[in-house]
Amino acid sequence: MKNSFDEKILEEANDWLNANQKVVLATVIQTWGSSPRQVGSRMIVNETGDFSGSVSGGCVESAVVRECIGLIKDNKPCKKIEFKVSNESAWEVGLACGGEIAVYLEQIN
Amino acid sequence: MKHSQLKEIIKKKASKIEFAIVTNLENGLSEIYEPGKSLSKEFEIHKEQIDNFFKLKKNGVIENTEIFIETYIRPIKVIIVGAVHIAQYLVDFAKSLNFEISIIDPRGYFASEQRFPDMKIINKWPDEAFKEIETNENSALIALTHDPKIDDPALQHAINKKFYYIGALGSKKTHENRCQRLKEAGFNSDQINSIHGPIGIKLGGRSAPEIALSIIAQLVSETYKK
Repeated sequence: MKNSFDEKILEEANDWLNANQKVVLATVIQTWGSSPRQVGSRMIVNETGDFSGSVSGGCVESAVVRECIGLIKDNKPCKKIEFKVSNESAWEVGLACGGEIAVYLEQIN
Repeated sequence: MKHSQLKEIIKKKASKIEFAIVTNLENGLSEIYEPGKSLSKEFEIHKEQIDNFFKLKKNGVIENTEIFIETYIRPIKVIIVGAVHIAQYLVDFAKSLNFEISIIDPRGYFASEQRFPDMKIINKWPDEAFKEIETNENSALIALTHDPKIDDPALQHAINKKFYYIGALGSKKTHENRCQRLKEAGFNSDQINSIHGPIGIKLGGRSAPEIALSIIAQLVSETYKK
């Protein structure tokens, strides 16, 4: 069975938008190898870097937040980013689990 | 994605209908798709693939394209018999899970709206109540009254409809008596053994929230065995 959990991220995005915040929705669209969150996992980020939900087990969230803020600043509608296996010099944005994930960012407006 | 589209998605989620969000990852265009309905020109050529994702109940990118599909399937129906203290915690735990809960209790003072705000409560005896709920092998039953008058008819309904999960609260002794009654009512041992009794995984806890946690853990575990 899939979709057994409903994290209400979209509902939260709606609340943020109603509070006049800018919101970027990040969605896991592909995974390879052992990745912590399944396809369809979501997080939202606002212009000040507040976020809710997750796209990994905490491994790449900081990078996703930075990318989302960039998207808002550049006023771009969407972007696709990929994260691969971590190495020591890039510990902050790698997946320690050895998996790879692709995340799709889109502004809601 | 437009805010208006997000609002529509939230509305569709709340009404528990099946739909998918189809997104072109290159240009950011996205659309809501309901099985059987048509799509715009841009996505119509992928219809067969989208329906296939529905069949497999999965999310993902259509191979060799930049089209992402996220499917929303109907939540699993969980029927709780007995609007008791444990049920209040079950409702809390189930909030973040994709279960659609209905509570049956003929005793009005238990099944009050004040005790269960925003819940579908059917203040009738199980035989009558089940006429209002469509159930099948994708449904689950949690019987909590340990009163044979209320639990037994619900258990019999669940067995007959082949619910994938049936659990009944009560001690080993209570459960033995229950099994005996069901045997006398003509149910075979396979049917009777499909009931999880005493209900829940072994956690060791005895308080209402701890019992609720052990029940919800068992329910999730059985859901993944489906």
